[in-house]
Amino acid sequence: MSNFEQFHFDFYQSNYTIDDQEEGCNSYGSNENLSGSTKSQTREQPPAGAFAPSDMFLSPKSYTGQILQPTQSPDTLSHLDYADGFDEEPPLLEELGINFEHIWQKTLTVLNPMKPADGSIMNETDLTGPIIFCLALGTTLLLAGKVHFGYVYGTSAIGCLVMHALLNLMSDLGVSHGCVASVLGYCLLPMVILSSSAVVFSLQGIPGIFLALFIIGWCSLSASKIFTSALAMEGQQLLIAYPCALLYGLFALLTVF
Amino acid sequence: EDGEFLGMKGLRGQLGRQVADQMWQVGKRQASKAFSLYANIDILRPYFDVEPVQVRARLLESMIPVKMINFPQKIAGELYGPLMLVFTLVAILLHGMKTSDTIIREGTLMGTAIGTCFGYWLGVSSFMYFLAYLCNAQITMVQMLSLLGYGLFGHCITLFVTYNIHFHSLFYIFWLVVGGLSTLRMVAVLVSRTVGHTQRLILCGTIAALHMLFLLYLHFAYHKVVEGILDTLEGPNMPPFQRVARDVPVVSNAVLNTTAKAVALTL
Repeated sequence: MSNFEQFHFDFYQSNYTIDDQEEGCNSYGSNENLSGSTKSQTREQPPAGAFAPSDMFLSPKSYTGQILQPTQSPDTLSHLDYADGFDEEPPLLEELGINFEHIWQKTLTVLNPMKPADGSIMNETDLTGPIIFCLALGTTLLLAGKVHFGYVYGTSAIGCLVMHALLNLMSDLGVSHGCVASVLGYCLLPMVILSSSAVVFSLQGIPGIFLALFIIGWCSLSASKIFTSALAMEGQQLLIAYPCALLYGLFALLTVF
Repeated sequence: EDGEFLGMKGLRGQLGRQVADQMWQVGKRQASKAFSLYANIDILRPYFDVEPVQVRARLLESMIPVKMINFPQKIAGELYGPLMLVFTLVAILLHGMKTSDTIIREGTLMGTAIGTCFGYWLGVSSFMYFLAYLCNAQITMVQMLSLLGYGLFGHCITLFVTYNIHFHSLFYIFWLVVGGLSTLRMVAVLVSRTVGHTQRLILCGTIAALHMLFLLYLHFAYHKVVEGILDTLEGPNMPPFQRVARDVPVVSNAVLNTTAKAVALTL
């Protein structure tokens, strides 16, 4: 059981195998300072070694810093929990990476398309908010009498793939699928507002068409604002906004008809 | 394992395993090389490097036929504008199908719209490129894709207007004027890049026919139900099904029976 003590010294041995256990016993038995741990860590992940000294001080108290670190690998967190025991486990929401404060911040950014966006907010791929919004859209459509969960899922999946390909072609920096899915999902929020208004009155008249066009414009403006600030594509916001408008137009078609 | 490989023991087994491993490695290396060469999306990157002003200018130019056909006209080799126009055409088709309650029996609305538009863009471009190769015209595949893609701008305008305002005469006017202008532009560009009367006739005749007929097809295939709905919604003043002479068997049988009874009574 001495292996668990070793975990208190080096938290981020993410590739720990049964073979390393024997070598670890030998090296830690001989010298207890961190040079031994760094020697074994250099065989594995150099960035993990950099985390170990600083997080020794943070260890069981607070884990808020870890959610914001994009290079954190999930293996290290699970080793932490395994080692610390039940009392010192992080709360479930933080373990899942769900941070309601961040979700709220991003929601506010989407709801106000005129405010300039911070380019770094999309560094962390957060799919919880988008999934909540997609479910809200499906639920409000259900309230209006349309069971379209499958269509929402299919449209968003294909839309993410196409936008990912287009953004990779048009920008110098690459994007990941998760980032694109996250941004498109967050900007779906005004569409939820449209579909909830469809519960109350029918959108198939002239005012409904204008409301739908306004909501489509709002969604695509927010999405293109976030994409251009995150990918440093100044001057091409309209070129990004148009495919986003087509995608959200499909959602509006689903909502109106 | 005692070194047995496919039934061969000892040295033969080891040799067999090594040969199989090597073949697998070589095959995997070649496949990944081919994949990184052909599936590399970066080869398309230069064609998406555009500014909004350029796209707007090209859209407007696609409706203006240029008369100068003595030297080859410039074609912008970009793919962003054509791709967005094809997607816009898909969206307009979907909107038209939804408003007219079109029912597609074998397939989905989305699949039909995407298949039609992308099939036209890619298929007709490839066919025209093949014809251009036969007729010795100086045009590359990307230029052909770009030319045809921008030619769909006229289609988008026409369908957007006529799917919402339903007059046949209005559609025919738009078909001739708007469709005709964008076709004339494509024809002028192709003529300027081809030498010889027969070759010019083949290329231009084909593109004109295909382009105009596609607009006609899109209009009539996807909105004809609207006319029927409009007729029935005209109100109590207009009797329904007025234009179609119909023989309703129940009515005619009833008439026949009453006539026979009346004749029998008089007799």
